Amino acid sequence: MANTKRYWSGLDELHKTEAFKAIQSQEFPEAKSVDEFLTDEQLESTHTGRRDFLKFMGFSLTAATLAACETPVVKSIPYTNKPAEITPGVANHYASTYYDGQNFANVLVKTREGRPIFIKSNTATGIAGPNARVNSSVLGLYDSARLTGPVMNGAASDWKAIDNRVQEAVGSGGRNVLLTNTIMSPSLKRAIAISGVEHVQYDAIDYGAFRKAAEMDYGVNTFPSYKFDQADAIVTIGADFLATFADAVFYEGEWAKNRNPESGKMSRMHAFETNMSLTGSNADYRTMVKPSEHGRVATALLDAITGRSSSSSEFNEVIEAAIEHAAIDLKAAGKNGLVLSGSNDLSMQRVVNAINEALGAVGTTVNFECNDLYQGSSKELARLIQDMGASRVNTLIIADCNPGYDAVNASEFTAALERVNLSVSTSTVPDETASRCDVIAPTHHWLETWGDLQIESGRIDLVQPTISPLHNTRGWGESLLAWSGESLDWYTFLRQTHSPSYTPDEMYTCNNWNIAVHNGFIGSDALEQAAPNYAGASLTGAVAALNAQQGGVFELALYEKSTMGAGQHAANPMLQETPDPLTKVTWDNYVTMSHSDVDAMGLNGFIGQEKPASVVRVTVNETALELPVFPMPGQAPGTIGIALGYGRGANGEKVGKAAFQTAENGSFMIDSEGSMVPVGQNVFGWVNAPGEFIHHHQFDVKVEATGGTYPLACTQIQNTFMGRDSIVKETDMASFFAERNLEKGEASWNKLIKLAVHEDVNRDGTIDAQDAEPTEAFDLWHEHPVENVGHRWGMTIDLTTCTGCSACVTACHIENNVPVVGKDEVRRHRDMHWLRIDRFFSSDYSLERGEEEGVGVISSYRKMEDPAANPQTVHMPMMCQHCNHAPCETVCPVAATTHSNEGFNQMTYNRCIGTRYCANNCPYKVRRFNWFNYPGYKKFGNFNPAQDSLMRMVLNPDVTVRSRGVMEKCSLCIQMVQSSKLEAKKRGVPLTDDLVSCACSTACSTGAISFGDLNDPNSKVARTSRNNRSYHALEEIGVKPNIFYMTKVRNVERKEA
Amino acid sequence: MQKEAAIREPLILGNKSYKDITDDVVGPIQGAAPIGWKIMITISTIIAIYGVGSILYLLGTGIGVWGLNKTVGWSWDITNFVWWVGIGHAGTLISAVLLLFRQKWRMAINRSAEAMTIFAVIMAAIFPGIHMGRIWVSYWVLPLPNQFGSLWVNFNSPLLWDVFAISTYFSVSLVFWYIGLIPDFATIRDRMTKPLAKKIYGILSFGWSGRAKHWNRFEEVSLVLAGIATPLVFSVHSIVSMDFATAVIPGWHTTIFPPYFVSGAVFSGFAMVQTLLLIMRKGMKLENYIHVKHVEYMNIVIIVTGSIVGVAYLTELFISWYSGVEYESYAFINRFSGPYSWAYWIMMTCNVITPQLYWFKKIRRSLAATFILSIVVNIGMWFERYVIIVTSIHRDYDPSSWGEFHPTSVDVGVFIGTIGIFFTLFLSFARFFPVLALNELKTILKTSGENYKKQQANH
Repeated sequence: MANTKRYWSGLDELHKTEAFKAIQSQEFPEAKSVDEFLTDEQLESTHTGRRDFLKFMGFSLTAATLAACETPVVKSIPYTNKPAEITPGVANHYASTYYDGQNFANVLVKTREGRPIFIKSNTATGIAGPNARVNSSVLGLYDSARLTGPVMNGAASDWKAIDNRVQEAVGSGGRNVLLTNTIMSPSLKRAIAISGVEHVQYDAIDYGAFRKAAEMDYGVNTFPSYKFDQADAIVTIGADFLATFADAVFYEGEWAKNRNPESGKMSRMHAFETNMSLTGSNADYRTMVKPSEHGRVATALLDAITGRSSSSSEFNEVIEAAIEHAAIDLKAAGKNGLVLSGSNDLSMQRVVNAINEALGAVGTTVNFECNDLYQGSSKELARLIQDMGASRVNTLIIADCNPGYDAVNASEFTAALERVNLSVSTSTVPDETASRCDVIAPTHHWLETWGDLQIESGRIDLVQPTISPLHNTRGWGESLLAWSGESLDWYTFLRQTHSPSYTPDEMYTCNNWNIAVHNGFIGSDALEQAAPNYAGASLTGAVAALNAQQGGVFELALYEKSTMGAGQHAANPMLQETPDPLTKVTWDNYVTMSHSDVDAMGLNGFIGQEKPASVVRVTVNETALELPVFPMPGQAPGTIGIALGYGRGANGEKVGKAAFQTAENGSFMIDSEGSMVPVGQNVFGWVNAPGEFIHHHQFDVKVEATGGTYPLACTQIQNTFMGRDSIVKETDMASFFAERNLEKGEASWNKLIKLAVHEDVNRDGTIDAQDAEPTEAFDLWHEHPVENVGHRWGMTIDLTTCTGCSACVTACHIENNVPVVGKDEVRRHRDMHWLRIDRFFSSDYSLERGEEEGVGVISSYRKMEDPAANPQTVHMPMMCQHCNHAPCETVCPVAATTHSNEGFNQMTYNRCIGTRYCANNCPYKVRRFNWFNYPGYKKFGNFNPAQDSLMRMVLNPDVTVRSRGVMEKCSLCIQMVQSSKLEAKKRGVPLTDDLVSCACSTACSTGAISFGDLNDPNSKVARTSRNNRSYHALEEIGVKPNIFYMTKVRNVERKEA
Repeated sequence: MQKEAAIREPLILGNKSYKDITDDVVGPIQGAAPIGWKIMITISTIIAIYGVGSILYLLGTGIGVWGLNKTVGWSWDITNFVWWVGIGHAGTLISAVLLLFRQKWRMAINRSAEAMTIFAVIMAAIFPGIHMGRIWVSYWVLPLPNQFGSLWVNFNSPLLWDVFAISTYFSVSLVFWYIGLIPDFATIRDRMTKPLAKKIYGILSFGWSGRAKHWNRFEEVSLVLAGIATPLVFSVHSIVSMDFATAVIPGWHTTIFPPYFVSGAVFSGFAMVQTLLLIMRKGMKLENYIHVKHVEYMNIVIIVTGSIVGVAYLTELFISWYSGVEYESYAFINRFSGPYSWAYWIMMTCNVITPQLYWFKKIRRSLAATFILSIVVNIGMWFERYVIIVTSIHRDYDPSSWGEFHPTSVDVGVFIGTIGIFFTLFLSFARFFPVLALNELKTILKTSGENYKKQQANH
């Protein structure tokens, strides 16, 4: 076929114009040939003058100089073959499960370019999301203190040598023992069975008495399962079930389900406790009792419920009335009542069981179906230590626990460890135990490994790796198999646990398994257990034992902080800097003491920037420690509380940089003996082990003032909200219910704030105080055109269900690369927290009371600064309010902070010149300034994640790491909103609630924080913002925030006016 | 020729001739530096170097070396800024407003007062610069055409108005001051014998020949500049006060601020003039030109402005109560009874109570008392700004963020350092510049000179 295609050099050729023909006739179409051009006469007359020469010189020189200024080359290595599921810039999420012996959570792990960077709730399981400890555990993956390979006798080794050594020892006969925390993994249990080693379990925080009581009363060895969503009346005697007690991660979400005032029914919660705990601060009624009185509260409650009289408990009127009140509520709730106690005292748990049984609550709010939590036994550990000391243990393998730090008798343990033939630790860091072992065979971080977990019947949760191991580590289950001569790889072993016929050929074909991994769990058969049956054995002994408890002048209640737990996370700088939800102290543990005791002992009652805490010497059983005192409202007088989980690495063990204190110049503090000073002090030695079970209280301790001082770093130093009820609005259930159907702004507990005007607006003929108009009537500025156009992002925060747990705080900071600034900077009020939780205690005083008592305004205000002895507490998450009329926006001279057309108040870092005017003018004080170059300055080198070459991998690539001198603040996770928009666009669906979220809203396990589009009438935020409980904090300033708070409803009796 | 009433006190004492005036002013410039001057400039230079070191440390490390925090974002930095701007007020007021009102007594003090103004404004300008987190992009506050996507400044921001106000004030003051210096430089030039000095003063005097035409232009320019400068005297501090007045913070958000700040500025400016002149007249033997009458006049200005300031303080307190606004009233209760009440009471004592001593003629005319009180006033005025800035924001709306401010050594170093730089500049001025407007003084010699007045009285 002939080629008929023709090409033209241009239109001229196509149309064969005259000019084209003229050119075509010449071979070289230029007007002049080069020769001609060069010999042109006219060329001679042009010249390059001296000036031109200098210009050219100057230009060339400048150009050459500039070209020589090289910008630093940043090398990045692209994928040679792009993995199918990874698109650079797009996050992948994997379902997994977290379990560290204390916390358990179903999670989704967000990875970017193969790096896990964020952990959030796996909503597919219907179980509440992770707490602060779980979601910030992603930092642990990148901890530079982790061992990079096996260690033998203190020197780096290889797996082959280690395996030979351990195999030899295990095979040499004698007792081989595996010491772990509670194991809930079916595969690990199978591996332990195969290996044939003797298995000893113990838990740092022991709950053995719960199981024993269940065994005695119900004939089943199980941990009780509490169903807080079923409970209408809850009485907790020292169980901090919203933060640290047992499976708190799970309880918190369940509890919140029954705290919805709109439903007309809220659970009533009574707390009897010593220290002010998160649970107590959320209780409707809280009563301060000493540790020695806990037992008698339980017996008195038992008496009140059953109508028997077994004791002659002498309480003060307050406690007696509280018990009576609690009993009335419990009886009214009947089988929906729930009593629980945090005490690991067998008598106590048996009395509690009896109360629940009397209420008929067993089966509804608490049941004894099989629950695998907390199988540890401190008695067995004690026996093991004895055997070790007597050289009766040949090989000791230690996994997932750190008895050298958190065992009651840690020093005995470490001494006995010397007498074991071969000690093996599988710790990821050379901690207090591992550093004393002959062999360290480091296990994977949980994000690097396969695993499975089963707490209760019906479901097995799966752990899947989200990154290949960073270091030369090996899961300890696999190590155990290797040491017992099994050469199965862990994944195959795990699969075979769940389907015995599995072979590696099926790896990619088993669809059910893939779905299970995708969802994060598989269904399973019920765990075998006999049906619980209440034996009704006599309680006389138990009641008598509890009634006999007596305390001394000072009693001690040890507790866990919701941020630090039992100390596993000491090396996590993010958690160290997350303030304790109640004291707001970071980077320390301390003695909490009531204000009355503080005053009586002449100690400092107000911790400020330059007002350090007084130091006291606490003596327990002849061991003394000097600790700072934090004056704690709500602490029972005559008691002190001290947090466990501090003082890691006290003997210089390299447990991680953030576990140690740094001096003002950023270098580690060194004590007189030349070792690094840990953050806080270890008080596990004061755990009370009188018999079979260990208790976290001491009935008689000595507290003496030393005259010394010690700085504490608080993120909040003012305790009360000074009667400013436009910030915090609260009411009681009855008042709420009576006015629940009124229009927004009408109810007495959430009245629209009106400002007086000098005009007769109510047309009563006079101009007086009644002439007032709502804040909206006063406006200096034009409305932003976001009211009904496009999106308008907003948030509602329900103060009723916010417990103050701080999971949102850590989630926000990890998502947004918020810098960790260290204790010294926090003390100087320079924490960088974008999201903080304001904790307000109530005061006994008010201006009204001052007026009644004839006290002047000045003294009234002074007294209002002091919290009540047993205050009510409000936890109020506070972040940028994204005001539609933002005071920060008008004052910035360079317009670095501006309003977006979607309602965001946006901060443009690279436009900011750092005048801090915006922060000064912010009524909510949510703006944070980069005082230093946090990612580079030496002061922060030992704890700031951005300064650690490994830990900086956790930084979110979607969010800028801010440089020195710029302002920053909450962005409402604009990067997440933007990616949601893309996702919606890709799917071709409207951007609705299920697609958008913020870090804080995903982290909130009680659903207190909701984020969404206020312009979408169906969104949750739009609905809740119309609710008559919703209000703007500081509404009268007229800044029109996009964040709404929901009035806190306490389920308390209406206050008589 | 203009005649002055005989009962008016003479403005130039002693038996002075035109030549005497020239000798008295130019003599010290020609002669060797006195030992007292050498000691003083050494001390002030050392302090200045310490200050520069502190500033460099600040710039190298970050604003965190100051004691500021999340609650108190401004403290000594802006306090110092407002304080120095305030001090910089007297010079222009003296030279412009008093010129328009034909107050001849200003001639003895206007030159050094203006010099003080220039130097004080330079010191003031340091602070908005170094208080920025990123001083290297400070030029972004200027509305310059740019290639950042045509980013423009935010004209709503009072901080931006500040930039314009301060830079305008500085340039007008500088020009005004320099115009006045030209004939005096020419006089020095004519008397200099060393060629280099002659050359330098020749350049500085812009070829002044003393012709009638030159004098005519000189007078006209002075009047025009005085006309321009007079509104600036009031605008600068009004605008500075708007940094606070337009904010939402209780204690800042106050409409009384502009007049209150202006009178406070004049108050502190005159006090600083007193401090400087009382040293200078002694050191440079200018007792005949700057004498008790001048001091008394200035003390009268101080008592008037001090009383205005006092009324403003009380008005603020009253309004905070009268408004019925919870936050407003707490802000003021906290001011005088809270953690920083000591600062409030220092302010009250120094600014409101002690200046009232000037009602006594004896104190008003006592040089020693004036010297002490002038320093007291400036301490009080520093604390006024500290009270306004720190006590308002350390406890504002949200009690959860209530905090404290504690200065660091760098805060102190930078502040003391600016005083050092200021004195170094002023001492250099006193050494090399004509400290009195000698040619202007000559115009009043025959009307207000003591000897001429006596002659007239004898006639």
